Amino acid sequence: MVLEVTAKTNKGKVIAMGRKEYWEIGLDLDGEHRMGAWQIKEILDLTLPPRKTTTERFITELPKGTKSAEVEVKVTYKPAKTVTLNVHRIVKKLTF
Amino acid sequence: MKPFRWICVVFLLALPLTAQGEYKTLDELTKAYSVDKCKSCHGTVHKEWEASYHSQSVVHSLGGIRNFIVVGVGKEYDEPMSKEHLLRCMGCHAPQIKDASESLAKEIASLIITAKDAKSRSKKNAAKKKLAKLNVNCIICHNTMIKVAKNVRGDPRPGVFYGPKGGKSSAHKTEKTTEISRSVFCGQCHGIYTPPDGDTIGCNTLYGSYQDAYRGNGGTETCQACHMGKKKRGHTFPGAYQVGIVKEGIGLDVQAMGIKLHPGKWIPTAIVDIGLTNKAGHRIPDG
Repeated sequence: MVLEVTAKTNKGKVIAMGRKEYWEIGLDLDGEHRMGAWQIKEILDLTLPPRKTTTERFITELPKGTKSAEVEVKVTYKPAKTVTLNVHRIVKKLTF
Repeated sequence: MKPFRWICVVFLLALPLTAQGEYKTLDELTKAYSVDKCKSCHGTVHKEWEASYHSQSVVHSLGGIRNFIVVGVGKEYDEPMSKEHLLRCMGCHAPQIKDASESLAKEIASLIITAKDAKSRSKKNAAKKKLAKLNVNCIICHNTMIKVAKNVRGDPRPGVFYGPKGGKSSAHKTEKTTEISRSVFCGQCHGIYTPPDGDTIGCNTLYGSYQDAYRGNGGTETCQACHMGKKKRGHTFPGAYQVGIVKEGIGLDVQAMGIKLHPGKWIPTAIVDIGLTNKAGHRIPDG
């Protein structure tokens, strides 16, 4: 699952504010990242835990002279390499 | 009894309902575990199941199973393919293979490799068509896998369909069981798999998260409540591939503010605070 935050200024410039990935890393007994189910013996859990709110904060300086910006927050979910689900998209307008 | 019910009874009595034995051909095995007969009385449920990933539990996972056969068993274990090895995957993806002969298990393993690796598209498709008959179906969940408490309650009995209600049927034997309504029932496959030889297969870790993180933090819902009961999802069992249930499981709160930093320079600065709430009964995402 990916969280992406971008800001688009009133002059049309798109600035990446940040990106976070949430996933499980399958590890073998030597601590090496493995993909095969038979190879995975432990996981490193970088996911969202149930019944909890995970918070993220992004602070980004925009080009001088920016009067306003649209901040876009997108959450996408990838159940497989070739599949991407658009889960949430929220846009907020900021003025300076 | 209404005429329709009599038709169902006559039709069903002519066919095996649950299977046990050692089958030497794929046709014999899939016939013994066929659920075509179920749809004559349970049409809606059958249609829901057909749309689910349970009905595609082998053909949807061909890549991973093929890799286990070719890389895992073939190269890393450096052993010939066997029914015991195949069941490390198929114990969940197609549990009916427990009733296959050793030679049939090897044939199924070959079909899986063909379905992924054959150069000819027609050969691939022919293999996939055969493998599509192997899946997690009515018999698997309502009989074969009713074994969470087998030492207390006994093995599932041939010919009996176990369900949460145990409503009487003139077409087959039924028995009420609480097992099929409990999360541990789903956890048999949606969690780390431990084959009889003690190895571990980390294909899926969902149930561990459910038990330790969700139940451990006060959650009380069952797998069935969200993936079947809510919104009348029935036997479609939606999950990670269906955007509706994924949306339900992830809450998003965004707070944003524009300020000017650095006195005198007054640099426009965006501050964005985001809360992602996992409303599901397990970690998100989960493999």
